[in-house]
Amino acid sequence: MGSVTDDEVIRKRLLIDGDGAGDDRRINVLLKSFIKWCNSGSQEDGYTQYQRMLGTLGQCEFSMGKTLLVYDMNLKEMENYEEIYTEIGQNLTAAHEKIAECKKEILQAKRIRKNRQEYDALAKVIQQHPDRHDTLKQLESLDKELQHLSQIKENVEDKLELRKKQFHVLLSTIQELQQTLENDEKFSDADEHQGNQMETENGH
Amino acid sequence: MGPNEFDPQRSLQVLHMTVFSQSFSPCGKFLAAGNNYGEIGVFSLSAALGPEATEDSKMPIVTFKAHDGPVYSLLSTDSQLLSAGNGEVRAWNWAELVKKVSVGLGALGEVDNSLLMAGGDNKIHVMDLESGDFKMVLEGHSDYIHCLALRDSAGECLSGSEDGAVRIWDFRTGREVHSIEVFKYQECSRPQYGKYISCLTTDSDWMLCGGGPSLSLWHLRSVTPTTVYPVPGCQREACFHQDLVLSVGDGPFVSHCHLSGDVKARIPCTPPSLYSMRLNYSSQEHRVLSVAGSSQN
Repeated sequence: MGSVTDDEVIRKRLLIDGDGAGDDRRINVLLKSFIKWCNSGSQEDGYTQYQRMLGTLGQCEFSMGKTLLVYDMNLKEMENYEEIYTEIGQNLTAAHEKIAECKKEILQAKRIRKNRQEYDALAKVIQQHPDRHDTLKQLESLDKELQHLSQIKENVEDKLELRKKQFHVLLSTIQELQQTLENDEKFSDADEHQGNQMETENGH
Repeated sequence: MGPNEFDPQRSLQVLHMTVFSQSFSPCGKFLAAGNNYGEIGVFSLSAALGPEATEDSKMPIVTFKAHDGPVYSLLSTDSQLLSAGNGEVRAWNWAELVKKVSVGLGALGEVDNSLLMAGGDNKIHVMDLESGDFKMVLEGHSDYIHCLALRDSAGECLSGSEDGAVRIWDFRTGREVHSIEVFKYQECSRPQYGKYISCLTTDSDWMLCGGGPSLSLWHLRSVTPTTVYPVPGCQREACFHQDLVLSVGDGPFVSHCHLSGDVKARIPCTPPSLYSMRLNYSSQEHRVLSVAGSSQN
């Protein structure tokens, strides 16, 4: 019983769906109706059937045109995608190169930053020391003062020497005068004494 | 005990572990870290940083016991890893061979084929890497040396020590060029922290130093402090990177500062106190900053 109903089902299915689906069925139906039309005799029916067949043919051509267009479109899309794919590939390699370059640049920039920071660090230390111009000026003015003072010292020393010499001369002259005066006294004493002696000798 | 079983001894160790030093391999793909138990763990950067990294790939690929005491300093040369612990320096080929080299201390530096070692005996020993004998000894510090920095452009090295002085030594004459007592400068000194210098780094004309005194930037030609950074706590390691100054120390963060003195960023990290910071310059794809310190507890 099951197989009979199965057979029924199959038969029904074949009857309904036997020609296949969509376009395939249209072509099969067209073929069958063409054969029927060739075999039929009457004019009127034949004419309507002929019109109908032309219609179906038109439909078939239309769907064929559509599929061709879809096929072309698919081909073009494939090409488009290929292009996009190669473009993306190129962009990838370009990006990789850029990344490598940027990495180099970063290293360079880091080196520069390191140098700058080193300079800054040294500059900070240098700032703490007084300005070179100022110190030079101070040194110059101190030098001048030193010279000036040494000049004064020399002058004072010269004066001192002169005064010493003058005093020496004065003192030595005084001494000589004293000496001369003493000598004179002595001589005048001696003279008087001699004179007295001669008088006493003469008196005898 | 299998690797997946719970080992209470090991967990306790991990709880109290502090990483003191790090070093990237010459190819830039591995990181070696030395801890306070004398072990060195080697991590693979490509495994840990790759897109399919799991918890396991972040564990060290090799761990071995290098010294009896803590590993205070690690340094990578072209083919070897030098590690310094209490009393000795060992060299390990990055291809995992072991070769004991000589006796030493706390800080390592390398300059054209000679190795500088400085530490507990207040002196810096310069050793030739090829022959293994000592070329010269730089004396002058009155207390042990914490850190070394090299100034290739002038053929000098700088050392910072517990006595608060940073000394600049000339390699050709083997004598001291300058001695800078950082704690004597008012703008840097922080008497509440002491006077020791625990971090030192140089960028040919400039020097960063910190520790007891605050982290400060010095111009070496004129020997003047130019900027003092307002970073709290004692800094244990600092370095120059592009146009920034990075420093780590007390406090669970890495400070990024501009050279001009303002703190640009403070990146928080897990360890409550950081002892070591390293930048991986030798690798293009794993350019990382790695910081390490004490464990959270």
